[in-house]
Amino acid sequence: MTMEALYIEPSEFTPRVFFDPDNSVFEISGFSRPENTVGFYRPLIKWLEDYEDNVLAKNTNFNKSNLVLNLKLTYFNSASSKFLMDILMVFMKFHSKGNAVEINWYYDEDDDEIFESGEEISEMINFPFNFIPITPNS
Amino acid sequence: MEKGEVLINHYGPLSYEEIGFLLNKMTSLLERHNFGITIRKKVYSAMVESLENIYKHQDVIKGSNNYQPKFSLILEKDKVDLTCSNSLLKLKIGPLKERLEKVNQLDKAGLKEFYKEVILSGNVTQKGGAGLGIINIAKVTENKLEFTFDDIDEQYTYFTLRITVSLQNQNN
Repeated sequence: MTMEALYIEPSEFTPRVFFDPDNSVFEISGFSRPENTVGFYRPLIKWLEDYEDNVLAKNTNFNKSNLVLNLKLTYFNSASSKFLMDILMVFMKFHSKGNAVEINWYYDEDDDEIFESGEEISEMINFPFNFIPITPNS
Repeated sequence: MEKGEVLINHYGPLSYEEIGFLLNKMTSLLERHNFGITIRKKVYSAMVESLENIYKHQDVIKGSNNYQPKFSLILEKDKVDLTCSNSLLKLKIGPLKERLEKVNQLDKAGLKEFYKEVILSGNVTQKGGAGLGIINIAKVTENKLEFTFDDIDEQYTYFTLRITVSLQNQNN
């Protein structure tokens, strides 16, 4: 029931990714405007699908997992938003299978765009987010 | 009316690196003009989507150096104007025009709904386009998009998109 964590170093155009199966915490942070959006995001979705098969599906305990998704994006282009939606849909599937899911949407408190994007996405998937402001330079 | 200040004027092939360079240039120029994060993010989003549209969807005319991608960013008193042009196969005019006209007819709530519809149903193309760029530009700028298709030859057209980001009623 173990699985290796997924860690991707951030670059100028791509976010930092840390999917930590040991603590059930999944984080995407930073800036997202990959040249190859499909090539960047497909492996993340594939990892989550494997995580479902190798970890979640094998959890036969009465208590299901508590999964925390932390989204700390400063900017994402529209092609990335499509894939963020796909990732969120995977978490919605985890949720529908009885796992507790918590989604934290971090935003720079001066940045209305990111805050509103979070509100819209939450509305679209019909699942509440925790909105957590970050003070600039903190 | 006073003539605007040309902040960026690009003409020539547009690589992914060049887009990054133009975005960095815009960010530092708008910071120098003391624009707040809201305006900078609006211009940033509109610029990313329009330049990536060129990068992903342009049809380069074989054997010709004319009609290269063009991009300009002009600061007016009460707005920032972004204009971008690229060559395109004429057979793409129909669907593109249809999307632009639809987007121009929608208000803020309608755009949100349309965005939702496309993001939940639309497939991402091999080039990474999700069909969301134009909707995103309209949603972020909250202004109508102006566009023209100028004839190049039998096969190609020169597509120009004009985007306005208003500076009024913003905390800049």
